[in-house]
Amino acid sequence: MASELLKGFRMLDLADEKGAMCGKMFADLGAEVIKVEPVGGCTTRRIPPFLEDIPGEDRSLYFLAYHAGKRSVTANLESSDGRALVAQLAKHADFLVESFPLGYLDSIGLGYDELSRINQRLIYASITPFGDKGPAKNYKAADIVTWASGGMMYLMGEEGRPPLQMSLPQAGMHAGAEAAVASLIAHYPRQTSGLGQKIVVDMQACIVWTLMNEQAMPIFHGDFLRRSGVFVGSADARRKMVFRCADGHISILIMGGAVGAPSTIALVKWMDEKGFASDWMKAKDWMSWVPGLLMAMTQKDREEIDELEDRVEKFFLTMTKHEIYREALKRRILLAPVATVADIAADEQLEAREFFVKVDHRDTLGRELTFPGAFARFSATPISPPERAPRLGEHNREVYCGLLGLDLERLSRLSAEGAI
Amino acid sequence: MAYALEGIKVLDFAWVGVGPITTKYLADNGAEVIRVESAAKLDVLRIGPPWKDAQPGINRSQFYASYNTSKKGITLNLGNPKARELVRRLVPWADIVVESFTPKAMRGWELDYEHLREIKPDLIMLSTCLQGQTGPNALYPGFGQLMAALSGFYHISGYGDGSVCPPYGAYTDFIAPRFSAAALLAALDYRRRTGKGQYIDMAQYEAALNNLAPALIDYFATGRVLGPKGNASERYAPHGAYRCEDEEGNEQWIALAVANDAEWRAMLEVLGAPVPDSRFATHLGRLENREALDAFVSRSVRGRRVMDLVAKLQAAGVASYRVQNCVDLHQDENLEAFDFWHWLEHKEMGPSPYEGLQHRLGRTPGELRSAAPILGQHNQEVLGGMLGLSATEIEQLQKENVIF
Repeated sequence: MASELLKGFRMLDLADEKGAMCGKMFADLGAEVIKVEPVGGCTTRRIPPFLEDIPGEDRSLYFLAYHAGKRSVTANLESSDGRALVAQLAKHADFLVESFPLGYLDSIGLGYDELSRINQRLIYASITPFGDKGPAKNYKAADIVTWASGGMMYLMGEEGRPPLQMSLPQAGMHAGAEAAVASLIAHYPRQTSGLGQKIVVDMQACIVWTLMNEQAMPIFHGDFLRRSGVFVGSADARRKMVFRCADGHISILIMGGAVGAPSTIALVKWMDEKGFASDWMKAKDWMSWVPGLLMAMTQKDREEIDELEDRVEKFFLTMTKHEIYREALKRRILLAPVATVADIAADEQLEAREFFVKVDHRDTLGRELTFPGAFARFSATPISPPERAPRLGEHNREVYCGLLGLDLERLSRLSAEGAI
Repeated sequence: MAYALEGIKVLDFAWVGVGPITTKYLADNGAEVIRVESAAKLDVLRIGPPWKDAQPGINRSQFYASYNTSKKGITLNLGNPKARELVRRLVPWADIVVESFTPKAMRGWELDYEHLREIKPDLIMLSTCLQGQTGPNALYPGFGQLMAALSGFYHISGYGDGSVCPPYGAYTDFIAPRFSAAALLAALDYRRRTGKGQYIDMAQYEAALNNLAPALIDYFATGRVLGPKGNASERYAPHGAYRCEDEEGNEQWIALAVANDAEWRAMLEVLGAPVPDSRFATHLGRLENREALDAFVSRSVRGRRVMDLVAKLQAAGVASYRVQNCVDLHQDENLEAFDFWHWLEHKEMGPSPYEGLQHRLGRTPGELRSAAPILGQHNQEVLGGMLGLSATEIEQLQKENVIF
């Protein structure tokens, strides 16, 4: 049974990969989400890779993941009958999310101004790569372009080599989730005023927000950060945060001070037990050790850090990431394995919490698939595993006949005409 | 017009990143959010840079300030029973309580959901921590940087040659709050319809894994492990960042993605480059020869001015933009047009640069209603005004390190 959280509310989802997460979150929260696709299918059905590397409109892993729990109808927005259907759906909807090029839906009579005249309750969220007002408002952006415009790309990668993306596009996830939050903020007053509103989500700003306030560094501290691989910090105070181990990598930021000292003391003790700690490391007052924080690092600081980082890596190379992580949990050392999806799938914590869920795809793919589970645990209204992502137009009859009251003959005519 | 969430009241025990960013969504949209802090255990962001004039101080951190706009701040030392009693007197006022300690803390203080719901039966309470309230690793302490490694994002960041090139900062701290804010807002609506509050256990780990879903589904189905692959794409070619002409001594790079033949031809025209190589004649050919293709694009853009090239490519329909550094961001005309940057007057820092909202509501827009509070800024207003403590009582409780 779906969560009761947003039971009875309906969202029209006209978003591609810039905003699929929005409808996914609404579906998780129990809303009815109707994905409106072109007759040839949403472009997200063609995002590789495909399940078992077999292409097919129901096999894109992206599509399966982010359209689970939604229904699918087709509507050809280039046909007047198709547009009329979407307008009718909007009359019955509480929310709409879209990510077309700016102004496209306005140009075909499905913009906020038109739809709010039909349904003044409608909350209508537009996801835009560069906002709706600046000189780039009509620019195109693939995910990597937003990663760049928002500043994260500049900070990823090694000096002397190109800035990097992540190997699973992320900008659309942030923007879709932002649209979900904004829509729910607008929902609150709407339920008493009866008035919906237009929302604009700025994808570029969504990425700037992920920079952990690095934006203020040049203003207060004078310089801007450059990418530096596994290191963090400015060139004269850089610290390593990823170390090799026997079967991969470990992330640890070796810190002193109130925040870091207990962990560093525990690490040094562990290293000492195995013969990897040097005398100065054992004698060090880690509580007062904050090199590079209040004043520039000294030559001695630099030498100590280089030796420390070197010894830590040699120590980690004697163990696997799993061995290191397990022991660190016991000793309360702040570190984490650089986990692969295989590590995550085998993680004891997620298993104990029964995080992963089975989603039945036997009728479409002949198998079950395992999905990441609920994004939060609600005591009264738990999020349940989603229904599988819909086949193209799977719910045309249910929605167009059931919700809009069209008869089958009319549905056939619309189909023959290419409107659905 | 009123703010969207006017009338909602939030008692916010959260600290560091995820919790405060969650309640910031509510505060910037009109909810009354009271942050409960203590000098006995300072929010670590208060002592982290960037600092006003590069001088440290608990009321000088923009890191803290950025995530605590529009909130009131009081200080209560929860280790002291008298402070906890004051908390219990504040709870009936609140619609929502948020906390982000390691799981045992609120239980130890008897301020967990089971205790607070006795005071306020329809309370909505959200606990957010790294790994959730239950399970063998629930008490794992740590920061978002480590969580970004643990939840798979480091491993998919690199050139594909064994290198690991993490995303900057505590990446998952900027995934989880959107999920937790949505969770709270949905729970509010449910309460309005049913009169029922509830408890929300939000593991930042689990929320973040939603951003990795296709790779997890793939692994469970086929055993394939997604690894880092540089800037390669299975959809676009070329796809990556390419170095343009340096400007004012700084590297300039253009990020671009070409989806099909038409965009490829448009790009060649803009670059003025002859069709270089028969391998690049088809989109599939370009996808399959990406190393050579990257070399070709790199050569072709090396002497170009980046924003000039972006303007021409975009006019020709090619998705592209400058790879922007933090100074570029402050000069970006699109962010400015979206009204993203704000200089707010902070009580100790003076005018300071805040990031604005990433969305805009047309009818009931939120805004940064005030700069972040200095430590204990609203003690008098909240403890005196709302709870009715006298000036003498407040002074006495300060002496006893209760209000602290």
